[in-house]
Amino acid sequence: MKRHVAVFFIMVLSLSFLAGCWSKKELNDLAIVSAVALDLDKQGRFIGTFQFVNPGNVTGGFQGGGGGQGNAVSVYSAKGDNMDEISRRMSTKVSRNLYYAHANLLVISEELAKKKGILPILDAFDRDPTFRNTATVVISHQAKAADLVKTLTAIDKIPANKMIKMLRFSERVYGGTMNVMIMDVVRDLTDDGKQPVISGLNLKGSAETGKTLQNIMQTTPESAPQIGGLALFKDGKLTGWLNGSKARGAVWTLNKIKKTEININKKGKKAAIVLEVIRQNTKISATTIDGTAHLMVKVETEGNIGETKVPINLKDPMVIKRLEYGFEGAIEKEIKSAITVAQKKKTDIFGFGDAVHRSQPETWKRISKNWDEDYFAKANVKIKVDVFVRRTGLRSNSFLSDVK
Amino acid sequence: MPSFFKKKSQKGKKTAEKQKKPAVSSPLSEVLEENLAVITSKTGNSTDIIIRRLKHSPRFKTESAIVYLKGLTDTQTVQEILIESLMKSDPVEQEPSSMQEMVEGYLPLGIMESLKDWETLFQALMSGHTIIFVDGFSEAMSTSTEGGEQRSIEEPSTQRAIRGSREGFTESIETNISMVRRIIQNPTLWTETMTIGRVTKTKVTIMYIKGIARDDIIEELRNRLKKIDIDSVLESGYIEQYIEDQSLTVFPTLYHSERPDVVAGNLLEGRFALFVNGSPFVLLGPVVFIQFFQSIEDYTERFYISTALRLLRVLIFFISLIGPATYIAATTFHQEMIPTQLLVAIAAQRESVPFPSFVEAIIMEVTFEILREAGIRMPKAIGSAISIVGALVIGQAAVQAGVVSAAMVIIVAITAIASFATPSFGIAISTRLLRFLFMISAATFGFYGMILGFIILVVHLCGLRSFGVPYMSPLAPFVPADINDTVIRGPLWADRKRPSFMSGQNQLRQGEETGRPEPDKSRQMVTKNEGDAQ
Repeated sequence: MKRHVAVFFIMVLSLSFLAGCWSKKELNDLAIVSAVALDLDKQGRFIGTFQFVNPGNVTGGFQGGGGGQGNAVSVYSAKGDNMDEISRRMSTKVSRNLYYAHANLLVISEELAKKKGILPILDAFDRDPTFRNTATVVISHQAKAADLVKTLTAIDKIPANKMIKMLRFSERVYGGTMNVMIMDVVRDLTDDGKQPVISGLNLKGSAETGKTLQNIMQTTPESAPQIGGLALFKDGKLTGWLNGSKARGAVWTLNKIKKTEININKKGKKAAIVLEVIRQNTKISATTIDGTAHLMVKVETEGNIGETKVPINLKDPMVIKRLEYGFEGAIEKEIKSAITVAQKKKTDIFGFGDAVHRSQPETWKRISKNWDEDYFAKANVKIKVDVFVRRTGLRSNSFLSDVK
Repeated sequence: MPSFFKKKSQKGKKTAEKQKKPAVSSPLSEVLEENLAVITSKTGNSTDIIIRRLKHSPRFKTESAIVYLKGLTDTQTVQEILIESLMKSDPVEQEPSSMQEMVEGYLPLGIMESLKDWETLFQALMSGHTIIFVDGFSEAMSTSTEGGEQRSIEEPSTQRAIRGSREGFTESIETNISMVRRIIQNPTLWTETMTIGRVTKTKVTIMYIKGIARDDIIEELRNRLKKIDIDSVLESGYIEQYIEDQSLTVFPTLYHSERPDVVAGNLLEGRFALFVNGSPFVLLGPVVFIQFFQSIEDYTERFYISTALRLLRVLIFFISLIGPATYIAATTFHQEMIPTQLLVAIAAQRESVPFPSFVEAIIMEVTFEILREAGIRMPKAIGSAISIVGALVIGQAAVQAGVVSAAMVIIVAITAIASFATPSFGIAISTRLLRFLFMISAATFGFYGMILGFIILVVHLCGLRSFGVPYMSPLAPFVPADINDTVIRGPLWADRKRPSFMSGQNQLRQGEETGRPEPDKSRQMVTKNEGDAQ
């Protein structure tokens, strides 16, 4: 009996050795992919450009690690008809296993998004177990996607990190952009009442200088990626762009503004009074009455006076009240312009369709097919903004009031 | 409770009985010279056995002699009291019938015993008694004159405490017992002494508090001790290995302490203490796993601090157990779990390292174990050399040479410090062993393997017992009343009962009246005394 037990245990133990080191990957055998860029070639095939981290060159100054002499990243490209083919063809150029778990950026070229749309490519990223669906998606605006990931950046040595952090930082303090993840895009694509919207990135300067180390040895890098607008999608294809204040208007409507600034003219001076928005809440609602859609945007904002260029009596509640009305008008204008563009492009990126779905589920079943064209594009838009000035910063009245 | 203790296999018992034949002890002779000749021949004429003949003692009509061991006896007592009173005393008026009558009430010494056979005589002689032979009597008297050089009471070197007694046990069993008696001044503190070791004849004393300790556990201890039939007992560890419940485990199922206050505290929880002559480590049992995370200071500090420290020790246990294993698993299987920046930093260090992480970890861990072993065994004078070699060669040079990565050195260092911070050495050495098993399982299956290892470990721990008490109690089986003193240490006033698995009839620790200290509601905050201000 005892012998049987012993034999059984030896067999079980041997099993664990048979497994070996299953799926074991040493760090030196991994090519850490930090960003993936997708372009289209002339024959209509995909060009995948992968940015790989050179770990030794990222952590500069480490003894025995190589010491930060070369590039922080290396970039390789491969062609293919699908993502898997690109990934496997990459092995003809790269010596290590491709490791996607830290690829946090997916750059899609404007051309690809316009011609083929994002529908045929996203499944691969959504399905792959190592690729995170929390990775950020951006559209390269007026630039090749490959050039964006090839450009070396200063401060953040890994360009992918720089772009992601830039998007997040800008989303938090300025608001003209959004950090859109793969899973957000997939969710919007499968939602019949909302269309996806993705941030765009420009490349400032030439693509050629961006590739060289000289680019980041200057105090002002000649080439650098830069945030540029929001890309509007319709049925998975890029239809247009929102830029500047229009982009911010769209972000307001999507209730994604965290902090930003709003300014109004006063006493003949342009942008004389500035409001620092510290919190806001936007609600949208929509109904259809007799075949016409009525859209409603309600914004509640709170902020501090950030700057005054003209003397103004901020101790007076009535003055504050008037300023609030002014800010409300400014915000309303931005939102209005964003919605107008979306209506022109006939794509409901704000999710008004979902609002109808919630308020009139029966009607929605009937109209969902042609919501964008027949209803959203012709809808009446009502915007109600409520601004509240909470504080005026360190000073109540500016020293400008006392300037003799 | 018939099924409380595991039934031992019957095989061992029979052989033990066969060997334990009662030794036939020959009686003493009436002739003094014959007796002395037996002593010299049996001890091989050893030079430290002193035979002093008293030819003209007025006390004894016939010739007499005293025999004692030099070094084990208190020379002053033997010379100044014993020999002097024997030589200078008045002659006896009438013929005494026995030796006892002749010596008792006459020698100003404590314990006196009449010896009639050689076995007990030699035992008395070897433990430091002085034996008095008188010609014409077939018996001898032994007087207690134990003494000689001993280490004095010092601060314990293993279990240090900032707040707590500074006394530590010594090698003398009598001193050790007296130190506990001094703390628990109660007649219910019972002791039983037996001799174990065919050759060494070591004194072993059981100590427990009658009423608080469980009688069945004490009975079981007695039985287990009686079964021991070995040559030598040089340390309490010898006894420990013969009376533990399970020998196929790396975890200690008996606790040992060098501190009288720890022993007293454990006696008061219903445990027994086992003193072994020659060892400053007193065994305590039955123990539970969580006891190895306790320290005497937990009870002297307020419970917020103690609880925080307990939790820290549990954390320390886990770090020293799975620290390197987690690193191996994360860097070779689950790179997605490491933040990108950190991954890149670790990858940069790993670039120049020629070994897989597992081999790297094994190299560093084994090196550290070698260093530690060297540090313990080396003479103190060259101890500093070890730290130089350790810090320079292992710490810096290995990294600079690209043999190991700096991250690995950090992991090994944290693990090492964690294993030093474990309050009990017994549990620290078992985690040292298990750490390697976890490293192997992490290198084969990643976190999955570690979890498997953990499940096996927990099952094993739950299967252990110490003198019948479940090792993981009061966590498994869960005893809500005892949870107050486990990974947390509740306030002392809330700790009403003794651990329910160990204590006998007397379960309550404190009276009904005692509870949370609360001043009377009518009492106000004391106001400033105006009179003092002037």
